[in-house]
Amino acid sequence: MLEISELRKRFAGGPDAPEGKVALDGISFAVRPGEMFGFVGANGAGKTTTMRIVMGVLQPDEGSVSWQGRPLEYIGRRRFGYMPEERGLYQKMRVAEQVEYFGRLHGMGAAAARTAAGDLLERLGLTERRGDAVEALSLGNQQRVQLAVALVHDPEVLVLDEPFSGLDPIAVDALATVLQERCRGGVPVIFSSHQLELVERLCDSVGIVSAGRMVASGTVGDLRAAENRTLRVVVRDPAPGWADGLPGTVTVTGDRHVLLTTDGDDQEILRRAMKAGQVEHFGAEQPTLTEIFKEAVA
Amino acid sequence: MNSVILVARREITTHIRTKAFVIGLLITAVLVGAVAFAPKILGGPDSYKIGAVNSQELPLKAAAPDAEFEWRTFPDEAAAKKAVLDGDVDAALVNNTKVLTDGEIDSQLGVLLQSTNRELKLGAAGVSIPPLQMVSVGADTRYQSARTGIAVVLVLVLFMLIIGQVMMVAMGVVEEKGSRIVEILLTSVRPWQLLAGKIIGLGALGLINLVTILVVGVSASVVSGIAVDFPPGLPGIVAGVLLWFVLGYAFFATLAAALSSLVSRQEEVSNVMSPLTMLIMVTYFGAFYATTDPTGTLAKVASLVPPFSSMVMPVRMAAADVPLWEIGLSTVLMLLAVAGVLSFGAKVYERAVLRTGARIKLGDVLRAK
Repeated sequence: MLEISELRKRFAGGPDAPEGKVALDGISFAVRPGEMFGFVGANGAGKTTTMRIVMGVLQPDEGSVSWQGRPLEYIGRRRFGYMPEERGLYQKMRVAEQVEYFGRLHGMGAAAARTAAGDLLERLGLTERRGDAVEALSLGNQQRVQLAVALVHDPEVLVLDEPFSGLDPIAVDALATVLQERCRGGVPVIFSSHQLELVERLCDSVGIVSAGRMVASGTVGDLRAAENRTLRVVVRDPAPGWADGLPGTVTVTGDRHVLLTTDGDDQEILRRAMKAGQVEHFGAEQPTLTEIFKEAVA
Repeated sequence: MNSVILVARREITTHIRTKAFVIGLLITAVLVGAVAFAPKILGGPDSYKIGAVNSQELPLKAAAPDAEFEWRTFPDEAAAKKAVLDGDVDAALVNNTKVLTDGEIDSQLGVLLQSTNRELKLGAAGVSIPPLQMVSVGADTRYQSARTGIAVVLVLVLFMLIIGQVMMVAMGVVEEKGSRIVEILLTSVRPWQLLAGKIIGLGALGLINLVTILVVGVSASVVSGIAVDFPPGLPGIVAGVLLWFVLGYAFFATLAAALSSLVSRQEEVSNVMSPLTMLIMVTYFGAFYATTDPTGTLAKVASLVPPFSSMVMPVRMAAADVPLWEIGLSTVLMLLAVAGVLSFGAKVYERAVLRTGARIKLGDVLRAK
C-alpha cells in the first residue's frame, strides 16, 4: 500500500509575497494495490506538489510517504513509473530508443528493454513512428511516448500527472485500457485529471484536494452517499396545487410538473403525486462527480 | 556505475549521429590536413632561375643543397637583359664577370653567387680554403621553429575543443532541466550519475575529435614531408596533449554543468556561463603567450597553476623542454583542482537541477542545507 501522510509544504515567497505560499497543508491518503486513485482539484490545489513529493522530486517540509509499510527511498522509487506534469522527452532522440533508454536506466537488460519498448509502442499505436525523432511527432503522440516511458519498466506503482490532457478520445481509450490492465495486475495507480467524467468512469476511489487539503476522499459511491440525496418526481398533468405543503420546489414545463426535494417523507410525496396525476418518474438523483466536486471545494 | 555508462553512451550515440558532428569532424580533418601541406604549397624550397651569357654555370647547388637552381643560356647580353626585365630569370651572369638584375638582387642569391664565384676562381688558382666548422654550445635549436609551430596549432586545437565540448555540456544540462526530463531521470539515476555520464560522454566525443586531429595532422605531415622537421619527442607531446585535454575538460565541464544547472532556459546559458568563458579565454591567452616565450617566468608560473596549466603546460612541453618535476607537480595540482571542482560542481548541480523556473543564485544553492 502506498501511504501519504500529513504532507506539508510551504514555498518560499518572492518580493511580492514575503510570507510564501502554503502548497500542502497536511495531505493524507492511501492507495491500495490494484486500486485506481483519481486525484482531482482546482489548479494550484496541490495535486502536482503531492505527486512530486511522492516521486522524490521535491522534499516535503513535514510528513512522509511510505510504500509497503516502509518509508519510500530512492531504491523504491526506481520501481515507480512517473509522468510529470510538464512533459519531458529528448526531442531529437528516436522514439523506440528513448523508451528503451529509460527502461535501461530503471535497471532493465538491453533485450528486455527492447522487447518491452516494442510491445508498449505497439499497444499505444506508435509502431510506425518508432524510428522517428520525438520532435517529429504530434503532441498527442509525444504524450503516448511519455506514457510508454513511464510504463516501460513494468513499474510497481504508477504516478501520473494529467495523463489524459490533450489526448483525443481514441487515445484516451487506449491509455485507459493500458492503465486498467496494469491496475488489475495489482499496481496502485494515482492520476490527476480535470476530466471528472473520466475519473468517475475509471477510478475506484477519488481524492478531492482544495487549498492543500484533502477535502473529500473515498470511493465514488461513498462520496455520493455522503451527499444529500435529491428526490426527483415528475407528474403529468396534475391537479393544481397538488404539491402545496410539500418540501422542495416545483417547476412546470408544459403539462409536466417536476418536484425536487432533499427532505420530507418520500412515501407521502409518492402518494400525493399518484393522487394528483400520472407519475412518470420517481427516484433519487445520482449526483455526478462534478457536482460532488463543486460542493466539496465550495 | 552502470547508469553512468548508459548516460554516457546516450550522449555519444545521439551526438555522433548528428550532421553537425560528422560535418564538424570532416571540416577539422580537412583543415588540419591543409595546415600540414601549407608550407609545401606556399613556401617550398627556394628556387632560382639564372641566365648565362658566355658564362660557365656556377656550382651553386653544392653551396646551397636545399635550394633549386635552373640555368638558361642566352646568346647575348641584350637577350639576357630582356629576360631579366621580363622576370623570366632572377639574374643573369654575363661573361663570368657581371650579374644583371632587375633592381637589387635577392640577398641570398647575391651572397651565393659571390662566394661560389670566389671559391671557383681561388680553386682555379690552386688555393683551397677549408669551410668553417659550425659548433653550437647552446640548446639544440634545430627544431625550434617546428616546435613553436606545433605549439601554436595545439593552443588553437585545445581551446576550440574545450570551449566547444564545455558549451555542449552546458546546453545538455539546460536541455534536461528546462524540459523537465531530469524529473524522470532522477527517479531512476542519482544526480551525480547523470552528471558524470554527461561529462564522460561529451568528453569522449571531444577525444574522438582530438585523436582525429592528431592522427590526420601527424600522418598528413609525414606525407607532405614537413614531418622531417618534427622534434624527436613527438609521442611524448601527443600523450601530454591527450592527458591535459582530459584534465582541462574535466575541470571546465564540471563548472559548466554546475553553472548551467542554475538556469532553466537555453537563452540564459551564455549569460550564466560568462565567468567561465572568461576563465577559458584567459587560459587561452596565457597559452598563446607561452608559445612566444615558452621559457619566460609567466609561462613557467602559469604552467603550474590550475586551471591555466591545462593549456599552458602542453604548449610549454611542445615549445620547449620542461623539467620532469614541473610536469609532475603541475599534473598533481591540476588533479587536485579537478577533484575539488567535481565535489563542488556535483553539490551545486544536485541542489539546483530540480529547481526549475527563474535563475537561481549560486549563493542560495550553497547556503541551502
